[in-house]
Amino acid sequence: MALLEINNVSKHFGGLAALDEVSFSALEGEIHGLIGPNGAGKSTMFKNISGFYSPTTGTIRFNGQDIQGLSPSSIAKLGIVRTFQETTLFQELTVFENVLVGCHLEAEVNLLDALFGLNKKVQQKANVHALKVLDFMGLTERKDQLAIELPLGSQRALAIAIALAAKPKLILMDEPFAGMNPEETRQMMDLTRKVNETGVTIVLVEHDMKAVMGLCENITVLNFGTLLAQGKPDEIRQNDKVINAYLGGGH
Amino acid sequence: MNKFNLTQFVVMLTLFIGLILLPHYLRYQHQDFMIFLIINVLVVVSYRLMTLTGEWSLIHIVMMGVGAYTSALMSKHMGVSVWLTIPLAGLSAAVLAGLLSTPLFRMTQFYFLIGSFAVGEAIRLAWIFFIKPFGGSSGISSVPSPELLGIDFMDPIPYYYLVLIVVSLCLWVLYRIEKSRIGLTLNAVHWKAPLAQSVGVNTWKYRTLAFMVASLFVGIAGALKIHYLGNVTPHQFGVGSMVFVLIWVIVGGYNTFYGPIIGAVVLSVLDESLRNLNEYRPAIYGVLLIISIMFMPKGLEHISQGLKDWIKTAKSSS
Amino acid sequence: MLYGHATFHTSPYSLSGLNEATQHEELAVDLFLQSIVNSLIQGGFFALWAVGMVLVFGIMGVVNFAHGELVMVGAYAIWVLKAQMGMGYIPAVFIAVILVMLIGIFMERFLFRPKREDPLGGLINSIGILFILQVVALLVGGTGPAKQVTPAFPGTLILDEFMRIPHQRLFSLGVSIAALLILWFFLTRTKLGWSMRAVALDREAAALQGININRTSLIAMAISAGLAGLAGALMAPISNIYPHMGHNVIITAFIVTIVGGLGSLSGAVLAAFLYAILHTFVTAYFSGTIASMVGLLLMVVVLIVKPTGIMGQRVSE
Repeated sequence: MALLEINNVSKHFGGLAALDEVSFSALEGEIHGLIGPNGAGKSTMFKNISGFYSPTTGTIRFNGQDIQGLSPSSIAKLGIVRTFQETTLFQELTVFENVLVGCHLEAEVNLLDALFGLNKKVQQKANVHALKVLDFMGLTERKDQLAIELPLGSQRALAIAIALAAKPKLILMDEPFAGMNPEETRQMMDLTRKVNETGVTIVLVEHDMKAVMGLCENITVLNFGTLLAQGKPDEIRQNDKVINAYLGGGH
Repeated sequence: MNKFNLTQFVVMLTLFIGLILLPHYLRYQHQDFMIFLIINVLVVVSYRLMTLTGEWSLIHIVMMGVGAYTSALMSKHMGVSVWLTIPLAGLSAAVLAGLLSTPLFRMTQFYFLIGSFAVGEAIRLAWIFFIKPFGGSSGISSVPSPELLGIDFMDPIPYYYLVLIVVSLCLWVLYRIEKSRIGLTLNAVHWKAPLAQSVGVNTWKYRTLAFMVASLFVGIAGALKIHYLGNVTPHQFGVGSMVFVLIWVIVGGYNTFYGPIIGAVVLSVLDESLRNLNEYRPAIYGVLLIISIMFMPKGLEHISQGLKDWIKTAKSSS
Repeated sequence: MLYGHATFHTSPYSLSGLNEATQHEELAVDLFLQSIVNSLIQGGFFALWAVGMVLVFGIMGVVNFAHGELVMVGAYAIWVLKAQMGMGYIPAVFIAVILVMLIGIFMERFLFRPKREDPLGGLINSIGILFILQVVALLVGGTGPAKQVTPAFPGTLILDEFMRIPHQRLFSLGVSIAALLILWFFLTRTKLGWSMRAVALDREAAALQGININRTSLIAMAISAGLAGLAGALMAPISNIYPHMGHNVIITAFIVTIVGGLGSLSGAVLAAFLYAILHTFVTAYFSGTIASMVGLLLMVVVLIVKPTGIMGQRVSE
């Protein structure tokens, strides 16, 4: 069953079409790859799905509900959480606090609770949940370090931990493998699979073809804002149009 | 969540006892000075709550004025007890902040700074223009002072204790908010608003909350100020005063709760000791501001760290 | 011309109520015409103030809160040179412009350049300079009443019995327009001007193409300060000179630059004249306080509805 359905989505900036009538869907429980040369419209697509942009035309359905045009926080409430290109973390906060922010939806506190410590249960619930997520991502030992002090691999793991803390049904991962060495890539692939095995659907934007081919069950290829190809990793690997787009340099 | 810290406790206790005994050893003019200083501490700490979200507003002092005018008008013309008008002053500023947040938070960063300035200045011009009820340029005079059980709060010493108690309570509340999950979320909104949004934080709501709470407390500060002064004028809440708040917060450092307090205290004491320089004092402020931005961008709170780094770089470059 | 129209419609309406008093009617017509002339002259000043702010914001990314103080220094320079030392007006204007330019160059080099990656830092530094320049003005001129400088061109152009334009004001308007034209020519027709516009569009891309960012910023600040100094020098003979005169300048410059679209020079000039018309008319028919309020609220509305201003273009990601 399709969890996320993108139907004829276009996004125009002035006269320029960053996305032009793109459709694809991600099935529940899968890892879906979204690839393409630079400027193909992958990031624009992510921003449309997560509510940072709203599509000029077209619809985005999640779990059978139209979500285009909703605010990022409402979309997060429905269960779509994204991670960001490069390492976007709350760098000045500790690892634990980072994940605690992710628990925002899980246990929101109001002003009076905050003042008088009334709702100890909510607070406790958030703390327990955060620790569980940290443990799952293998970050327990680093929980009191500042996010900015972590090595690259742990920073990426933390970014996913923040997303996981929000208990999403779907995580949009934006280039989690960028800049990693083979060992870090291998560990990150394991983590991604582990997250997926808990039942979380993943849409992955990535340039590292080894990671994409190794992880994804289905792949969507964009080029110049249009849909170029769709299929299983093997089909994509042998698709002439895809090979051309990549070898042609995309310019 | 914090562990009990003995040294911290002892320092706080000494400070508090000192503040309780202090007015009896001061001359009249210094008692005045202390009252305004404590009020200004509330002004800067409430301002810091606003800056936690990463937005720097220039309307804070005008919100202080909103509280001041509310309290003055209610106590003088409607005969409401000052004990009631002080909290109502905070409430009115918070409500106005809530109303203004819809247009204001459609802007961010620089646009918000300028937008908040424009709205604040327009409010201030309204006080000048509408002589009824605001009294125009000369404002409202003979604002009553509070009275309780025969104690006349026109005297500096009782008023000092009143201000000390009210401000301490307010600081405690502001501290609790900052250390709570709400404070954490405000921080998150500041550092990475898109990331916070993507895990479901409604950034607009949290910015509004910070703005309303900051206005609530600065409104109370405004009421405290004018019931001691006995008059309220539009000029007390001009952009000049706002700039001083900015200076205190920036020179003191806005990364910690106590940074702005240090800034307000150190600069006010300095200002007081330079009293005989009169109108030339702003130049000292100007120089201090530039020095603090150029050499200790994190403020007085980081001065020791800054000194260390400075020596280190001086060594490595020589 | 939106606001010009609005006032044009209200003015005949108010006249019809005064039909029996023809004398009042004539006065009202004259007030209207005189207001148009005044707003043109005001507009020239507003444009000079705002264009400098836009240049510095566009090219350096700095909001210079001390811009009004640069205008003030220009005016004080005229007071010292002409009123105190008896120098001729024209050479005094030249010296004032150069002096303020030098202050601008100092500010760029030592206060804004080190804070290029920290816009808040640059802004705070400009507030620091603002305080210092105000105190310098106090040291130079002392406290006491506002200073005045006698006009260098004493005559008055009399167009009609009730409409008079002092030659000094005509001179100001002419010089303002000439300065704006020279700036426009420089920015659009010279290589240096082109490179400055490139930096304003995209600093990193410009740097990659070999444009020297430091030099461009220094020139932008020098021009901005020079225009501020010129505005101050032109204002000196026709307005009061006092240490806080920059306050009004900076508020007006903000309104004009925001309404015109931050970063858009032509927008700022257009907005300067439109706002001058609005301000002059609201002042003439209502009050100066209401005029300032209208200006501030107009700015807020523009910030909310179209943060890029009337001429600005939206920069997409």
